[in-house]
Amino acid sequence: MKFLKWCLGILLCAYLGQYLLALALPNLVMEVLYHRGGVKQAYNTLYIKPRADEASREVVRPSPDLFYGSCIYNLAEGPLLIEAKVPERYWSMQFYQMNTDNYAGMSNRRDEHYRIGTFVKVTLIGPDSNPEDYSGDVIQSPSQRGIMLLRVSAIGEAAAALTALEQSHCGPA
Amino acid sequence: MKVIRVLAAVLLILALSIFFLVRNIGSGLGAMSVQNGNWVTNVSTGSTDAGIMLKATIAIGGLLASTRENSMYYRLNSVDGQALRLNCRYRVDGNDYDADWWSITAYGWDNFLIPNPQKRYSFNNENILRSPDGSWVIYVAAEEQAANWLPVGPSGAPSWRKRSGHNFDLLLRLYTPGKAYLERPHSAPLPRVILESCS
Repeated sequence: MKFLKWCLGILLCAYLGQYLLALALPNLVMEVLYHRGGVKQAYNTLYIKPRADEASREVVRPSPDLFYGSCIYNLAEGPLLIEAKVPERYWSMQFYQMNTDNYAGMSNRRDEHYRIGTFVKVTLIGPDSNPEDYSGDVIQSPSQRGIMLLRVSAIGEAAAALTALEQSHCGPA
Repeated sequence: MKVIRVLAAVLLILALSIFFLVRNIGSGLGAMSVQNGNWVTNVSTGSTDAGIMLKATIAIGGLLASTRENSMYYRLNSVDGQALRLNCRYRVDGNDYDADWWSITAYGWDNFLIPNPQKRYSFNNENILRSPDGSWVIYVAAEEQAANWLPVGPSGAPSWRKRSGHNFDLLLRLYTPGKAYLERPHSAPLPRVILESCS
């Protein structure tokens, strides 16, 4: 009877334990990505990745139909200014916090068509900053650290997409 | 003796927790997943509303996924209950979809692009060869096919790490999807995938 109680207790704890592990897993994976990314590129700078192929193994499920630019950020030293040229084809700027949530983003599609041909300027501020202290497009990160990802369509004429990425910038405001 | 027993119990709990988690993640996109034919999606992908298990699944198999307003992801790893295999040929029939643009990409069981000499990993609405009426057919197979061949083969990761039943899967990305996908993801039009033959 005592042995059975032990077994049931272990099974119950293990069942609940998987949820604790699941809770920790996204943060753990993002920490790995953050630190590995920091070795490859400096923090708070834009890194343009080569077009994805079978050798692209940093992030799962890369799209071969997109060009990616990433800025791994740490807002401990203050806000960042992200400037990006918006091409005619699909473009998006997405922000991820350290638990993988895509907490903010913008694109040049549908009702955001007006961005095409413009230079988007976004001030990215930390969780303790006051958005009212800044002008223009302001995005508040829920965590001090995170990742900003630019996606630009690589289908069709790729040169314009690459040029747009190369003219984009991420750095201290 | 009691300390050893407690320590063993803790280790067993940890091992079983990992086992349950791996099994749960391997089973798909969680309780909020939506089935549309053989395709599966989850409307909470990337969202702050996503549940614990979905976030864990995304962290392993779809890190940095966007929310559905930006792009929707439909995944297919089996046809009529049969896992996708490298020794079979699949036919994907489709047309155009209410989205800014779309692509279909083949990924190995390791969630990365499949090595192939052709360096062809996907088709999209622009590079696909179509019939005069705009419809198209993709053949997914390890052996060379006629037009619109999406080659598959062994994944890049060592095979001892394989835990899933399928050898590869297909991912349909719909960028800036229309209302049908946002409001009725279970019935919106999607490509049809047919198992044609196996060797």
